[in-house]
Amino acid sequence: MDHAPIATPPAARSRPIWQRPVSRRSVLATGAAAATAAALAALWKGNDLSDILDRVRDYTHGYQGALRTPRVRAAHLLRRAGFGATSAELDRYAAMTSTMMTESVLSYQSTSNAALEAQLPTLDLASDKGPTPGAVQAWWLQRMVQTARPLEEKMTLFWHGLLTSGLDKAGPAQLYTQNQLFRKMALANFGDLLKAVSKDPAMMVYLDTETNRKGKPNENYARELMELFTTGIGHYTEDDVRESARAFTGWTLTGGKQLRYTTDSVFNPRFFDSGQKTFMGKSGKFTGDDIVEMLVPLRATAERLSTRLFTFFAYPNPEPEIVRHLADTFQQSHYNVGALVREIFAMDAFYAPKAYRALIKSPVELIAQTLRATGSDARAYGAAVTASAAMGQVLFYPPNVAGWPAGTSWINSSTLLTRLNFVNAATQRMRSSSSGSTLDQLMSTLVDGSISPTTKDGLEAFTAAHPQNQAGLLFMVLATPEFQLN
Amino acid sequence: MFSRRDFIKQGLIPVFAGSAVPSVFANGLAAAAADSPNVAPSDRVLVLVQLAGGNDGLNTVIPFADGAYHDARPTLRQDQGVLPLNSQLGLHSNLKGLKASFDAGQLAVVQGVGYPSPNLSHFASMSIWETANVKGGIGDGWLGRYLNYLDKVGESPNHALEGVSAGSLVPPELRSSTPVTALQSLKTFRLQPVNEHGTQVDVENPLMKFYGAFKGATPAPFGALLDATLNEALQASHALQATDATYQAKASYPANSPIASSLKLVAETIVSGLGVRVAHVTLGGFDNHAREKPVHDKLLLDLDQALSAFMQDLQGHGLGDRVLIMTWSEFGRRVKENGSAGTDHGTAAPMFLLGAPVKGGLYGEQPSLSALDNGNLKFTTDFRSVYASVLQGYLNAPASDLLGGTYEMLPLLKA
Repeated sequence: MDHAPIATPPAARSRPIWQRPVSRRSVLATGAAAATAAALAALWKGNDLSDILDRVRDYTHGYQGALRTPRVRAAHLLRRAGFGATSAELDRYAAMTSTMMTESVLSYQSTSNAALEAQLPTLDLASDKGPTPGAVQAWWLQRMVQTARPLEEKMTLFWHGLLTSGLDKAGPAQLYTQNQLFRKMALANFGDLLKAVSKDPAMMVYLDTETNRKGKPNENYARELMELFTTGIGHYTEDDVRESARAFTGWTLTGGKQLRYTTDSVFNPRFFDSGQKTFMGKSGKFTGDDIVEMLVPLRATAERLSTRLFTFFAYPNPEPEIVRHLADTFQQSHYNVGALVREIFAMDAFYAPKAYRALIKSPVELIAQTLRATGSDARAYGAAVTASAAMGQVLFYPPNVAGWPAGTSWINSSTLLTRLNFVNAATQRMRSSSSGSTLDQLMSTLVDGSISPTTKDGLEAFTAAHPQNQAGLLFMVLATPEFQLN
Repeated sequence: MFSRRDFIKQGLIPVFAGSAVPSVFANGLAAAAADSPNVAPSDRVLVLVQLAGGNDGLNTVIPFADGAYHDARPTLRQDQGVLPLNSQLGLHSNLKGLKASFDAGQLAVVQGVGYPSPNLSHFASMSIWETANVKGGIGDGWLGRYLNYLDKVGESPNHALEGVSAGSLVPPELRSSTPVTALQSLKTFRLQPVNEHGTQVDVENPLMKFYGAFKGATPAPFGALLDATLNEALQASHALQATDATYQAKASYPANSPIASSLKLVAETIVSGLGVRVAHVTLGGFDNHAREKPVHDKLLLDLDQALSAFMQDLQGHGLGDRVLIMTWSEFGRRVKENGSAGTDHGTAAPMFLLGAPVKGGLYGEQPSLSALDNGNLKFTTDFRSVYASVLQGYLNAPASDLLGGTYEMLPLLKA
C-alpha cells in the first residue's frame, strides 16, 4: 500500500509559537499592577470602596505566571495527562525537569497497576448478558480514581470520545471489551487501532458493520470513519462512502449469544464483497484494512487527530503552526499516537499562559478529581455514575457518534448546579476522620494555591466561622470557579 | 418556482374545538385566552421536538398508494394499518394521536421539507437546521436569535427561563447571547446548602462572590461564562422556588419514556407561569441503518403517546391555545432500504406542526419517489419557509431579519 509523501519539518525560521517563552513583559506588567493594588490597599480603608478594591486586587492576581512554578507545572500536567494529583505526587513531580515529568507520565507500562486490579470488583463476564451497564461504568470510574497509570485511563477516555460506541445500541460486555482495547492500544499506531476498532464488536453493533454484507452494503461505519475518525468532512465524496462500505463487508459477530452480548468477531469470506472498488481515485479489490491504510496517511487525518489531541490536552483552537508541527510529527513517526502525545507535552505551548485553566473539567474529570480528594468507596462510584448523567456525560453513553461536544457546552445553569451539588454530596459523605488538611494545603493541592484574593478571603472567612466543618471547607474549595477548570 | 408550495391540497378543516373550551387561568397566567388568534404573542410558546438521527419520513407519512414505495421498501414497507390522511398518504399506524389531531384540524403536515445541496452528515445537517444557515457553523441558533430579539425589544431581558431545554445540554438552536436554561427537574434545580450539625449554611452568597471575582480576573478563560451561568442558575432557581408547587399533570404520561418525561417537564414550566417562550426536547435513536422496523415503530409510538399526553395536559390546564409544537429532524432516509433492513442517510422529510394554533392539513408537495437525486428525494419545501412562517405568523417576530433572507410564508397557522 502506498503512503502519502511524508511532509518535511518546517525550516528553522523565526522561533515557532510553541517554542516562544512566556512574554517577560506580561509577567512584569502583572507584577507592577499587583504592587499598585497593594499600595491602594494601604491607602484606602473605607468600606464603601471595598468593592472597587476587590476588583482591582482580582484584576491583578496574576495567575498567568502560575505555570512558572515547578509544582504548578506538575499539577497542570497531571490534571491534563490524568485526573489530578495528591500532594505527595505533586512533590515528586515538582522535583523533576519537564522532560522527566513527560517521560514519567508516558512510560506507564513499566508501572504496576496491581494495587488497582486488586481493588476492582469482579465483573460478570461469563454469563450470557454479562455485567450491567452500571457495573462497567463504576468499574471504569474506579480505574480513573485509583490507577497508578493515569495517562492510560486518560487516553482510553480520549478514544472513547473519538471512536465512539454507546449503550444505546451495543451491550455492556461489548463496551467493556472495547474499553480494554482502547486501554491496550492507548498510545499505539493509529492505523493498527483503527483496524482493530473496525472489527470491534461494540463498534460493529454501534455503526452497523455487523449487518454490512456483500450485495447489501451499509454505509454507517464507512461514513463516520471518514467524517469523524479520520479526515473530517470535505475530504471524500458520497461515492467514496458507498464504495468503502463495500470494503468493510465480511466481518461478523460470533459466539451464539444475542447480538448485543456477543464479544467476538470473525471474518467470513462468504459475506465479503471481493469485487473491484474505486475509492479516492484508486481502484482495487479493497478490504476494510486497505481503506484504513489509505485514510491514515492523509494530511487531513494527521491534522484532524493532532487538533483533537491538542485540544483534549492543552487548549482549544490550536494555532495553524501548532497543528502543522504536530501533523508533521505524527506522519514522521509513521502514525504513532504515543509520539504525538509526547510532542504535545513537550511543547512550550503546553505550559504557556494561554494553556493554563484553558479547559473546562468534563463531568468525568470533575468526578474523578473530586473522589480523589474526598476518598471513595463502592457506593461513591454508583452515586457518581448517577450524577454524571445530570452533568451531561455518562460513560459508555455518548450523545451520538460524534461524542461529547465538550468545551463550553459542559457549563449551563443546570449542569453547574449539578456539579456543585455533586461535590457537596461527595464531601458530606466523607468520613470526618479521613481529612484534616489545612486551608493552605487544600488550596495548594486542589487549585494550585492560585486563586483570586476575594475567594481566598472568603475561604478564610468560612474557616473562621466554621472551624470544625472540614467537609464544608473542602466543598468550598472544590466549588470555586478555579476548580471547575482544568 | 415555488409557487405551488404553500398550496393547501388537503384537509382544510375549520377548527372550532379549541374555542369551545372555556379559558382556565393557571397560576401566574393573566392573559391566556381561549382562542389562539387572540392570544397575545408574548403568551405564546413554541415547543420544538427534535427527532435526532434522521427520521425515516417515508415510514412516518407513508405514500401507501405509490407502487414505488412498496418496491423500494421490500421489508420495511407498512402494508397494513396506515392511518390515511387522503387517498395517497397516511400516517404510520403508531401515530394514532397525531391522526386524531389531524382529524380535529390541529395537525399540519408539511411535506418534502429540506434545503438545496443536502448534506448527508448528521452533524453538518443538524447545524444547518439549527442555525437556519446552509453553511451551518457555530453561530447563534435560529431561535437563539429570536431570544436575542426579545431582549432587544425589551421583553423580559435576560430572563433565564425564556428559553428552556429538557435535559442536560442547551441545544444549538437556542444558542444565543441570552441565558437559556437546561432543566432536568424543577424540584432539584437549586443549589444545596452545606450541612453543619443539622443546620444549613448558605453558600450562595460566598460562591457568587468567588465567581464574580474570577470573572474580573484577566485573562481568566471562562470567567464570564462561569459567573453568568451561576447567576442565571440562582436566578432561575429562585424563580422556580417562588412559584407555587401546584402543578398536577392533567393527563397520564407514559412511564419509562424519556420523551414523555421531557414534555411533562416542559408542561410543568408552562403551567407554572415561568415565562417560557421557547422550549426544546429531543427524542433520539432515529439513525436506523439496520433492523429499522422495531426500533422506528417504538420511537413513533413513544413520540405519539408523549405528544398526546402533552396536548391533553395543556388543554386540561386551559393552555392548549398558547402552545405550538413543531417537529424536525436533520434529514430523512434513503428511499430504497439497504441490505440490513434499515435505511441510510437521506434528504427531504415531512415536518409536523401541532396544536390549537395550527391550521390543520397537508402542505406542500410530496416529493416524487421516482425522480430521485442519487437515490434521495428532492425537497419541495425549504425548511426556512416553515421557520419564517412560525417566526412571523406565530411568534410575531421579524422573520427576514432573524433568518437573514426572505422565504415564502406558508399559511400554517390560524390568522
